[in-house]
Amino acid sequence: MIVSRRRFMRLGIVGGLLVGTGSVVAFVRTRGYVLDPVRAGRLVALSPWHVVVVEHAARRIAAADAPEDANIPSADDTDVAGFVDGYVAKLPADMRRDLLRFLAVLEHVAPLALGLGARFSRLPAADQDRVLTSLEQSSTLLLRAGFEGLKSLVFMGYYRDPRTWTILGYPGPWVNRP
Amino acid sequence: MGESPVTELAVRGRQLHADLVLDTEAVVVGTGAGGSIALRELARAGIDAVALEEGGYHTTADFNQREERMLALLFQEQGGRTTEDLAIRILQGRGVGGSTIHNTNLCKRIPDAILSAWADDFGLGDVRPEVLAPSFARIEADLSVSEIPAADRNANNEVLRLGAERLGWRGGPLKHNRVGCQRSGFCELGCSYDAKQNALKIVLPQAAAAGARIYADVRATRIHVEGGRVTGLEGVVLGENGEHIANARIRAKVVVLAASATGSAALALASGVPDPHDQIGRGLHVHPGAAVAGIFDRTLASYDGIPQSYECTEFLSFERGSDRRVWIVPAFAHPIGAASALPGFGASHMRAMRDYGKLAVLTALVHDETEGRVVLGAGDRPKIRYVMNDADRAQLGKGLVACARILFAAGARDVVIPAVFPHRMREPGELDRLDTGFVRPHELPLTAVHPMGTMRMGTDPKRSVVGPTGEHHHVRGLFVADGSLFPTSIGGPPQIGIYTLALHLAHHIIARARSS
Repeated sequence: MIVSRRRFMRLGIVGGLLVGTGSVVAFVRTRGYVLDPVRAGRLVALSPWHVVVVEHAARRIAAADAPEDANIPSADDTDVAGFVDGYVAKLPADMRRDLLRFLAVLEHVAPLALGLGARFSRLPAADQDRVLTSLEQSSTLLLRAGFEGLKSLVFMGYYRDPRTWTILGYPGPWVNRP
Repeated sequence: MGESPVTELAVRGRQLHADLVLDTEAVVVGTGAGGSIALRELARAGIDAVALEEGGYHTTADFNQREERMLALLFQEQGGRTTEDLAIRILQGRGVGGSTIHNTNLCKRIPDAILSAWADDFGLGDVRPEVLAPSFARIEADLSVSEIPAADRNANNEVLRLGAERLGWRGGPLKHNRVGCQRSGFCELGCSYDAKQNALKIVLPQAAAAGARIYADVRATRIHVEGGRVTGLEGVVLGENGEHIANARIRAKVVVLAASATGSAALALASGVPDPHDQIGRGLHVHPGAAVAGIFDRTLASYDGIPQSYECTEFLSFERGSDRRVWIVPAFAHPIGAASALPGFGASHMRAMRDYGKLAVLTALVHDETEGRVVLGAGDRPKIRYVMNDADRAQLGKGLVACARILFAAGARDVVIPAVFPHRMREPGELDRLDTGFVRPHELPLTAVHPMGTMRMGTDPKRSVVGPTGEHHHVRGLFVADGSLFPTSIGGPPQIGIYTLALHLAHHIIARARSS
């Protein structure tokens, strides 16, 4: 099955709709997201609401297998969302646009498809996992690709941090190794 | 040659304080394996030659063995390049030295059967094995190619050797271009110890010493053609964040495209180079591949040591119509790469990551028959249309099963094919019942690192873009000297083949530059 990027946007169901249906939807869509103003001022590619969505997704994607273990850093500890913001800023414009649209689908559309009435970022963790799983295994193949792209960015942000390497027993780079 | 040592190899974009305007005899676009050789040979022949590289100029000191930094620095689209349908990740180098910076140094000649087929099917009698052999030998000498000693084989490669030998399957050691290798295992992120005998370390300094000039951060955007001959090109100078900071205008009577199978075709398409038979961009092959992981009861630390030193060729034959078109080699990744490849997310994913040190990973790459196509995308960037055909999918399925058998034979307690719905097996008998229908886009993570084709060489303009000399069929002075030339897939690492073809064709390029 050949599916073009343009078709992805169509298959992104309301994703394109959300982006293009005018100021009212845009106003509602981006309201109610709280981000520290200093942090918001430092953003280069993402808007505050994108950051909130990435943070919530990263907490689930990089969730610990032993939450009680204080030695396992969280996605917040490793500032995954901040990393994603900086990384995405240097992507070609069309790739950056696709990712941001996928975040809109994740936040607003994917929960509805499961019959969940709230935004992704306002769902309890178990429901967020259901939403992410639905994207990972979606029959809409390019939603799977979107999930894989987000997952890669999250893990790049998470496993770049030396504190996570102890989980793996990985000693880290040779360069600058004590 | 009277060559003198070079201290600063390339001019960076930010060092240019005005438009780059040059009047020269030859300009080479791209500085990887093919471009570096073309540039060196032109300069050594006394031709005034410059090279333009879209990526940055990075040195050993920049290669800090950190995935998140090096992916952004050394790869096209920060490592995020994919096929148009987002199903296959395409890893291609960007920067002075091109993909020779991040490859794993594997050195294999283009197989004799492939060269013979090119000669017979595309009229390329000048690339028959016996004709090309001296050029292969010279490149191998230039790059200090040698067989990787058995003592340098790491645990992951030992798993492949042991498993293949126990199954009675054909395999053997690989050759590489390394001197002074520290076996740190970070080849794919650029060598921190300057042990790679690659374009950046060997060939480009030779070119510069012979008088060639190299400009980093300059993206060629249009080739100029007047009256059936090339007259130069134009481009943009990029700042540190990829911003457009100046223009470039290069007058030249020879233009050599060496920007890879994707970049060269995209530039030719964007320039409206004559293409009466709609051939530019066609014939793309990529060697699509996927990985299989084996979990052992002992620590392997597969991230340490030379990543690829052994191959299994039991399922690889280059004869016409062969149904054995799979090359098997080790393919271990550092944590970010491994985390991205393992299926799932959350707690179960982290549990799987705890086995990181006990993993061996093999990959099956298909010597592909599928013909994809490069077309123009946003901003004239290459858009890669490639969807594996059924025959190639079947080959990959066979390859994955073979990888799994090798891992079991070497002692793996579990074998996992990391598809979206992972296949986890405890004993080899399960492979007999495995339905490999999952080998398809978006069901299985697919990666390709060897784009080739798209500006194929041949005598027939109806099915090729350049002639046997590497010169465009319809534009005098426009040459190709990279993997775009390959008329078919080659079933193995292409770097030596690209270096060699560029060397082999160089005298034609030089002759054209010397002509009026």
